[in-house]
Amino acid sequence: MPQLIDAPEVIRVQDVSKRFVIRKDKSLKERIVNFRRSNQHKDDFWALRDVDFTIEAGSTVGLLGANGSGKSTLLKVIGGIIDPTDGVVERRGRLAALLELGAGFHPDLTGRENVFLNASILGLSRQQTEGYFDSIVAFSEIGDFIDTQVKFYSSGMYVRLAFAIAVHVDPDILLVDEVLAVGDEPFQKKCMDKIKEFQREGRTIVFVSHSAGQVQELCDRAIVLQHGNVVFDGPTEAGILALRESFNP
Amino acid sequence: MSLEAQERAKRLATLPFERTGAPTAGGVGGFLTAVRDAWRQRQLLDLLIRRELKARYKDSSLGFAWSLVRPIVMLLIYYFAIGKVLQAERSIPQYAIFVFAGLTIWGLFNEIVSSGTSSIVSNAGLIKKVYLPREIFPLAATGSALFNFAMQLIVLTAATILLWQFPWHVELLYAPLSALVVLTFGTALGILLSAVNVYLRDIQYLVEVAMLILFWVSPIVYSYRFVAQAVTNSGLGEWALELYLANPVTIAVLAFQKAFWIAGDAPGAAVYPDNMLLRLSIMIVIGLVFIVGAQRVFTRLQGNFAQEI
Repeated sequence: MPQLIDAPEVIRVQDVSKRFVIRKDKSLKERIVNFRRSNQHKDDFWALRDVDFTIEAGSTVGLLGANGSGKSTLLKVIGGIIDPTDGVVERRGRLAALLELGAGFHPDLTGRENVFLNASILGLSRQQTEGYFDSIVAFSEIGDFIDTQVKFYSSGMYVRLAFAIAVHVDPDILLVDEVLAVGDEPFQKKCMDKIKEFQREGRTIVFVSHSAGQVQELCDRAIVLQHGNVVFDGPTEAGILALRESFNP
Repeated sequence: MSLEAQERAKRLATLPFERTGAPTAGGVGGFLTAVRDAWRQRQLLDLLIRRELKARYKDSSLGFAWSLVRPIVMLLIYYFAIGKVLQAERSIPQYAIFVFAGLTIWGLFNEIVSSGTSSIVSNAGLIKKVYLPREIFPLAATGSALFNFAMQLIVLTAATILLWQFPWHVELLYAPLSALVVLTFGTALGILLSAVNVYLRDIQYLVEVAMLILFWVSPIVYSYRFVAQAVTNSGLGEWALELYLANPVTIAVLAFQKAFWIAGDAPGAAVYPDNMLLRLSIMIVIGLVFIVGAQRVFTRLQGNFAQEI
């Protein structure tokens, strides 16, 4: 994948650490009873440790790692959904996140109503959504079901509609978290084509996937995480090797 | 590399970097930033309110008509069962209107606080997946409560017309002030409790109980005249009455009754505390300060929402 000349940085992750406190007491009674010993009822877990990198505009970065290595947490920190315990994440440009598809969908509303709601959550105004609406429906191949409540949708239809919305909000940065596995093969291909089109248009894509094939096909850079630490940052081919290595230490 | 990509890179290079996540800056400045962020999302706020209302009556054939049925039935019960059969009308003229006025403004407060408290937890799906100024969830709860309030207000106004009691007097201007007291305190409580509820789920049950108590310490089904009498009879003195009036809901309910219940204008029918306008203004100011404080606490707590839900 050719790089832009003098590509500006769009994401700066600076010394980011994220600690999860696992509490074993959730209710008021337990808290009061265990007030003095409250530290015994906490466990610290570092999901990310001193992660530090920058991403330039137009690059496609694959986040790799075993289950529980902190990939999704890192993606959420970049998306601003979780605040880091230490460190700063800075970014610029419009962001769209496909973290879990249909997150903003309300099951009782129709596909049409959900398109407007979801697009608005991703930052489009009503007029813009109206302009894109036909194109969104066409891309999702939902057809007449657009006026059906989404609780009757199949999981494939869910994913297609959500993906169609996310790619229409004109993002500068797209965060994708292993969601593409749900659609059928023709739709997956369509998504891949769309992502490639995004690459040509100079959009930045950060991508979490367990499929080495997809990563190899799309990414020009791989970041491998292991127990919250970055163990590799560099070209994709070598990244996949590093990933295999991280599986059997 | 395509021309479009170069254009995009050029545009991106001119944009300033922004920190991700919610602003954590303290003080009133941080509050103003939060207000600006929420204002930018007003279209989304509007959609969220619609979502809440639409989803509520989605599968029913009567739809929004249901939001009118409940208050109408309630009004009829108070008119016949309590007013005529239990003869509450003997001591409180036009009891149905008296009670319904109180219930309307109480309903607004109750709904803002109750649905506000659970608003963050019930929108967990969204909060875990996308970044939005999270204050809009309790605000959306306030919005949909306002809609139901408007519905009740229509029923109340219709009842005053039917019973030939339309409140065509200057005191009607107390109504918006009363609503403002409830709005400020309700929204502040909604914002504060919605955040605390994420960490301590007991809050929403605690709120239910607190609401029950608050309902009975406000002069909604009984009249303030009885309270004033009881205090005089027991010889507790002025301070007991002032303590009773320190409750913002009490002030709001009294002001709302003053606005809509004209039967209370008859001599001896009702007693109101002195300086109602001053009391209302003080409550509104306290409520506004409370909102700023609640939002500051909310900002502190919201960083860990996504992982605590």
